[in-house]
Amino acid sequence: MIASLNGIVKRYDSKLVLDYIDLEINEGQIIGLLGPNGAGKSTLIRCLTGMETVNQGNVTLFGDGKKPFQNKNKEKIGLVTQEISIFPELTAKENANFFAGVYGLKGEERKRRVAEALAFVGLAEQTKGKAQNFSGGMQRRLNIACSLVHNPKLLIMDEPTVGIDTQSRNHILQAVKQLQSKGTTILYTTHYMEEVEAIASEVVILDKGQIITKGTVQELIQNIQHEEKIKVEVSHPEEVSLANIQALPDVKQVIKDGNQILIVTSANSGHLDRILTIIKEDSGVVGINVEKPNLEDVFLTLTGRTLRDGGSV
Amino acid sequence: MMRVLRTIPYTLIRMSRDYITLLLLLVVPIILITIFYFVLGDMKNQYGDLAFYDTAQLMTLVFQLFGGSIVIAYIQDDLFSARRQRILVAPMSLPLYALSISLCGMFFSIFLGFLLVLFTGVGLNVEWGNVFWVMYIIALLAVLSSLVSLILIFSVKNIKLAERLSDVYGIGCVVLAGLFFPIPDYPVITFINEYLNPLLLAANAISYAQSNLFSDAYIYMFRLGIGIVITFIIVYVLGRRKI
Ligand SMILES: Nc1ncnc2c1ncn2[C@@H]1O[C@H](COP(=O)(O)OP(=O)(O)O)[C@@H](O)[C@H]1O
Ligand SMILES: [Mg+2]
Repeated sequence: MIASLNGIVKRYDSKLVLDYIDLEINEGQIIGLLGPNGAGKSTLIRCLTGMETVNQGNVTLFGDGKKPFQNKNKEKIGLVTQEISIFPELTAKENANFFAGVYGLKGEERKRRVAEALAFVGLAEQTKGKAQNFSGGMQRRLNIACSLVHNPKLLIMDEPTVGIDTQSRNHILQAVKQLQSKGTTILYTTHYMEEVEAIASEVVILDKGQIITKGTVQELIQNIQHEEKIKVEVSHPEEVSLANIQALPDVKQVIKDGNQILIVTSANSGHLDRILTIIKEDSGVVGINVEKPNLEDVFLTLTGRTLRDGGSV
Repeated sequence: MMRVLRTIPYTLIRMSRDYITLLLLLVVPIILITIFYFVLGDMKNQYGDLAFYDTAQLMTLVFQLFGGSIVIAYIQDDLFSARRQRILVAPMSLPLYALSISLCGMFFSIFLGFLLVLFTGVGLNVEWGNVFWVMYIIALLAVLSSLVSLILIFSVKNIKLAERLSDVYGIGCVVLAGLFFPIPDYPVITFINEYLNPLLLAANAISYAQSNLFSDAYIYMFRLGIGIVITFIIVYVLGRRKI
């Protein structure tokens, strides 16, 4: 086992941010830690890496539960921080070299690893460019390269794709897959469910400091397979009576999200007709869509909220 | 330990590319001193030496008072911003790293002081006396300013406030020394300038040495040294709590 959290509780003052977290990270996995902003993902990472003391529970790293944060273990961890944390005044190569030195690499090996890490994130051509002159996407990629120079066994990535273009994002997701195939274990946090669906071998959904479910993408979706999600686009969302829809038997969730009404019902409840009738009393119907469930719906079903913090019940 | 040492070249590279600091602590004093060189011309002080010499020496020392801003900037960037996480997860000692960037900051400030001594001495013929003694005193002054800055970082929450307060320290020393406008002879102020104001302690240590009055020069150096010991103890106590 690479790492585990057992019964971790973390409070800031009186605010409970992590509420009895149990998590195991096994070799070769890509764990997708999915949760909306403020769920506690970054705090979980800080506790896992020893940056923050916990109020209760204990952390094990590489089988070491006694002194998990000793240098011997820290050497095997790479952290891609949520905020870009490179030296803007240094070139890409100097940045990577700084961290290579910190992680104890020397001589030829240091040179080779620096070149490899920069090439891996697609910065082989820009090694002499100063980080401060890089675009946001390039800085993100350098931020990742600096966490990879020492070939960590466990790579922790805290929302590595926030605020970058689709192309850089795909590049990063590809890279994560590639790292896994080379034997790196990865803890990947995000609030984008598509990313988790694309790469995670196991999904952990975190909400308000609690792990609300975990399993493979397939398992989680199967668990809610007996449900259907109906999306109705309406012309006057504010007029629609959600309470009337909610009152129908078998309707589990009704959520307004912009000018869409999302309704989760039991599968094959045959409600579509009645739902439309109710909506049409108050508003025009612009479009309608019955979707197969995805991870977003798993979150929706379990919490009654959408991942993007958007709709609320 | 070795790992922290390996970071030092990069810290120094960063400082050498910090153009704003270079502008403020090197280019600006060079321009100001050059202006005084032409303004003061052949004017003599009460001892019959060129008045410009005193001004050039004081200006060089004055800018050492602001050298602490380098340490503030680097401690802030590396230990109290997003980079803190990276340093924390890395297998190296955070206090040692903090010490290393502080020492680099002091070294850089001393180096800039050396360039000013070189410029005024070689370029403008200012008589400094024994260069080693001068550099030693400049080093003490730079270390003291950096320690004061560290105390400020560790004792106020807001980094902007710490920066402003370190400016207040620098400007306060200059004002008390009576360089902006004459300062009345209150006993308190005389006492401060004689025992506490690092700018005048350093200036006196240098000028007594120039006149070969070494026992007096040593006294002022000693007072600077005491200042360093006291501020160092405070930094140590506060730093242990904050880092
Ligand atoms: N240092 C801190 N002091 C007080 N509250 C904090 C601190 N760090 C995080 N929090 C709170 O903990 C919660 C979880 O934050 P975080 O772990 O950053 O969430 P996420 O990374 O999932 O967006 C938030 O409500 C945040 O306000
Ligand atoms: Mg976060």
